[in-house]
Amino acid sequence: MKTLSMRKVLRYIGLYTLWIVMVLLTILPIYWMFVVSARSRVELFDTPTVIIKSFFAPNYVKPLTNPVFQRYLINSLIIATSNAVLVVILSLLATYALSRWKLPGSDSIFFWTITQRMAPPAAFVLPLFLLFTSVFRIGNWQMFDTHIGLILLYCVFNLPFAVWLMKGIMDGVPLELDEAAFVDGANRWTVLMRIIAPLVAPGMAITFILSWIFAWNEYLFAANLTSVTARTITTGLAEFVSVTGTNWGEMAAVSMVSILPALVFLVFVQRYIVTGLTFGAVKE
Amino acid sequence: MRLTSRRLYSVLSVLMITAMLLSACTTVAPAAPAAPAAAGSEAAAPAGDNWWATAAEAAGCKDVTIRGISESTPASNYAAEVLAPEFTALSGIKVELEPTSWDQMYSKAINDMQANTGIYDFVYIEQDIIYSYLANSYLTNLTQMLADNPDLASPDFDFSKFTSFIDNFKDADGNVFGVPMEAFIKVYLYRTDLFDDPAIQEAFKAQYGYDLAPATTHQQYQDIADFFTQYGKDNGMDLWGTTVQGNTGHSSSFYEFVETIAPTFGVYNWGINEDNWKAEVSQGGEMNSDTAKEALAFWVGLLKDAPPEATASTWDEVAASFAAGRAAQGWVYGENAAWIATNPDKSKVVGNVGVALPPVAEGVMDDAKSGKGYIGYYDGGAFGMPVSSKNPKCSLLWLQYIGQESVQADWAVAGSRIVMNSTYDDPKVQEVNAKTGNYYMLMKEEGPLFRGAPPFPFHAAIRAVVEPYIWKALTGELSPSDALDQAAAAADAELVNLGYGK
Amino acid sequence: MRSNRMGWGLLAPTIIILFIVGVLPFFYVIYVGFFNWNAFSNQLGMQWTGVNNYRRLVFDDAFLDSLGRTALFAFTSVTIELILGFLLAQTLVKSFPGRTVFRTLFTLPLVMAPIAVGATWRLLTIPGFGPIPYFLDKWFGVDYRIATYAGQAFITVILMDIWHWTPFVTLTLLAGLTAMPKEPQEQAQVDGASRWQIFRHLTIPMMMPILLTTVFIRLMDALRVVDEVFMLTSGGPGAATQFIGIHIYRVVVPKTDYGYGSAMSLLVLYFTIVLCWLLFIALTQSGKQKE
Repeated sequence: MKTLSMRKVLRYIGLYTLWIVMVLLTILPIYWMFVVSARSRVELFDTPTVIIKSFFAPNYVKPLTNPVFQRYLINSLIIATSNAVLVVILSLLATYALSRWKLPGSDSIFFWTITQRMAPPAAFVLPLFLLFTSVFRIGNWQMFDTHIGLILLYCVFNLPFAVWLMKGIMDGVPLELDEAAFVDGANRWTVLMRIIAPLVAPGMAITFILSWIFAWNEYLFAANLTSVTARTITTGLAEFVSVTGTNWGEMAAVSMVSILPALVFLVFVQRYIVTGLTFGAVKE
Repeated sequence: MRLTSRRLYSVLSVLMITAMLLSACTTVAPAAPAAPAAAGSEAAAPAGDNWWATAAEAAGCKDVTIRGISESTPASNYAAEVLAPEFTALSGIKVELEPTSWDQMYSKAINDMQANTGIYDFVYIEQDIIYSYLANSYLTNLTQMLADNPDLASPDFDFSKFTSFIDNFKDADGNVFGVPMEAFIKVYLYRTDLFDDPAIQEAFKAQYGYDLAPATTHQQYQDIADFFTQYGKDNGMDLWGTTVQGNTGHSSSFYEFVETIAPTFGVYNWGINEDNWKAEVSQGGEMNSDTAKEALAFWVGLLKDAPPEATASTWDEVAASFAAGRAAQGWVYGENAAWIATNPDKSKVVGNVGVALPPVAEGVMDDAKSGKGYIGYYDGGAFGMPVSSKNPKCSLLWLQYIGQESVQADWAVAGSRIVMNSTYDDPKVQEVNAKTGNYYMLMKEEGPLFRGAPPFPFHAAIRAVVEPYIWKALTGELSPSDALDQAAAAADAELVNLGYGK
Repeated sequence: MRSNRMGWGLLAPTIIILFIVGVLPFFYVIYVGFFNWNAFSNQLGMQWTGVNNYRRLVFDDAFLDSLGRTALFAFTSVTIELILGFLLAQTLVKSFPGRTVFRTLFTLPLVMAPIAVGATWRLLTIPGFGPIPYFLDKWFGVDYRIATYAGQAFITVILMDIWHWTPFVTLTLLAGLTAMPKEPQEQAQVDGASRWQIFRHLTIPMMMPILLTTVFIRLMDALRVVDEVFMLTSGGPGAATQFIGIHIYRVVVPKTDYGYGSAMSLLVLYFTIVLCWLLFIALTQSGKQKE
């Protein structure tokens, strides 16, 4: 009895040591960024320390009160949220189709959607630029520098992942449920919305979250396919790298601000991530 | 389970509603940056405030939005934050200036002009890229356009008021393709507090046998660098002998070598022979000449006297290191001189900055005076108009607005840039000049000794080929001699590839 | 038949969107890959060169080196992430006080923008004010300068990737472990199987599908990494961390060698697809075996 509890205690000590170390390793870099964001420009080269002696607020106040910067934040919110909603809806419809019908060639479609995510992004900047500026235009309106442009583009990266994830979950929903509902006289649409959707909701939640995070964080295309109106927060980050001394303090502050919404998100929906992935991953 | 999913649903629906609301808000959201009341140079146009309004009205530009892209520099930010709102208030033309990083600025401007899409009505043209743009016929001939549209020509605008820097933006026939908006020289900065300290002076003289003063030769530069590195070590200070703009993954190190170091040894134009477009010595070039190798060895050798961040330093960090008091001397872009010397919020060496001409090898000064060579880099940029612009007339008005004498002085103080002769004499500039160790006057008087990048239409392509070898020399992976041999061979191969020097 | 039509109808929006923003640019890249096209060339516009760009690739040392480097980076970091992630996930299966807090804090890097991750690590590693060089020098006398020493840079980039992505691996594996039926393990324990035996013969096979999925996703992203590495080292020192994504960026963007860059991307995409196809087959196979 005594040895057993001894072992248990040791195990707990090991467990907590491991996790405290891991969490510290995770947090310290971010904390350091916070320390830098609290320093004025002349203090940057001070000795590294974990203590924040004084808080240099202008690093935060300056960008946050700047209307241009506020617009970047709003743009990022709009684009990430709309993209995530769109991806959730589309992937729900698509995976329902893939799972309930034996469509010829659907396996290839399934794999093909994923290859979209594999291409090295840099080479696609120019083609997309040309498409957005010259092909997708109606009169004076063009897709370049619009929210809708980025929202659609991010589907290319998010949909494959979403389809993949949701397919597994959808396959896990027994066909008998559909059939029982049909017997009760429900149509496809009702079945999808009333019966299937609630069951795969955790999967939809995680799809939403992951899509949202990706769209919020994307940089290369956002930088190249927008100009003024639809610029996002990540492109704003790069603007602090300037000729006259990279403004590390402000840049760190903006990075902190850019993490915050994603962070709030994470804390609130943390547990759904695990549930959602569980459904998708091993459904046997 | 049932409960969980219902809760999730409500979360999702709230988010969706939020998304919709936000999308709806776009139309209401501040589409244009709030224009600060145009204070200060309100007395802008002596021709009467409404000249701009009349001209804009006549050209059908009222309420038109013109869009430009620029690197995020103090001068550009001043244009975006001060000049653009002023111009809008006067003319009714909205100006959206997109400030971005140096790399982004190029790729986006080139993509736009290459594809002829007409996103931008004006673009920042750095002096070194103008030849590529001209070769591709990307830019509008402003001289011609002003002559064709006399009603759009402001009485206050005149190309002849600019310094000789504007010559960089002319074609062979003297037509102007860009309105200069910033110009600097890359100068030699040193710490007056250290150089003037009697104890240091004495110690230096005892060790090297001559008086401590701003270096005029490379040997002196090396001695001073060695001395202060040792001095910093002995006194437990974070102080090193020199800065080196030696980033091992960024073009800035390539530029410091070919534009600042090599010329002071007498290797001009990147060592590329302009008659046959060859870089190798055996073909008539100079990129891997003994002098060039000596120059690279000297510069790479300075790393041991530079602060540890030197190999991670672009132009940004060099200025930051110097401003943090971590270097006794260094080559620093002039646009930084003003804030390093005067702004206590950003710099620890306010009031302790001296400005001088860079050290040179024998004969180089004579070359520079005769026009055969140059002793350093005269950097800067202009705003030009792509031929693809959809609003050329409106853009022309804006370009003239920023090219007026009346807006120059405040701009010069904000961005330590000068593009017009008259600006030097302005009392505001004179006042800053006194605080910056005479930087502005040095630029005025000795400016002709400096020169911009050579007129290479293939500028960026050859830079991309050569720079990896410079980086490898800086990390020690290649010896300076091998690095330049390989660089010259690679440059020649790429030049042929691009259709030059068959 | 009629219901098939409805199936396609449900799929249509997805396919249409992927086609216009995904496939069209892809075709354009294929097209450009057959041309010599450089904004800084003496000949303006696009010059037809056939497969010449592909021929050049085979002899392009910088490109081949970069490919090898990318493979080394991707395999090293993904392997470490997998091992570490598996270990951590196992400790999280059983509930203990503070588990949620640990898990949430640990997942932080997952939500950060890659470019912000790069910025964070740059702040950590800049000599002069970053804590890593400072403390390594103070405590161990190590001269840590990732802009000078290629080896240090490579290791740092791998560490950054591990820092950024281990949480993701941990979460997905945790999901798998949580969903795993408990009975076979309990039965094996009763039968007197050792921990290692259970792990080797029960846990690993059952986890195979999710392990492969995780590898699949991580490998795909590691092979095309750009943002965070570019922010941290810009591919330097020299070419030490110039992974294929950065290499292509440098060819296409600053050098404007559109044709050659397009050819390069296609070849890389092809390699990636082959690699992932193999994994995909392995994945479906192991899935079938289970049934």
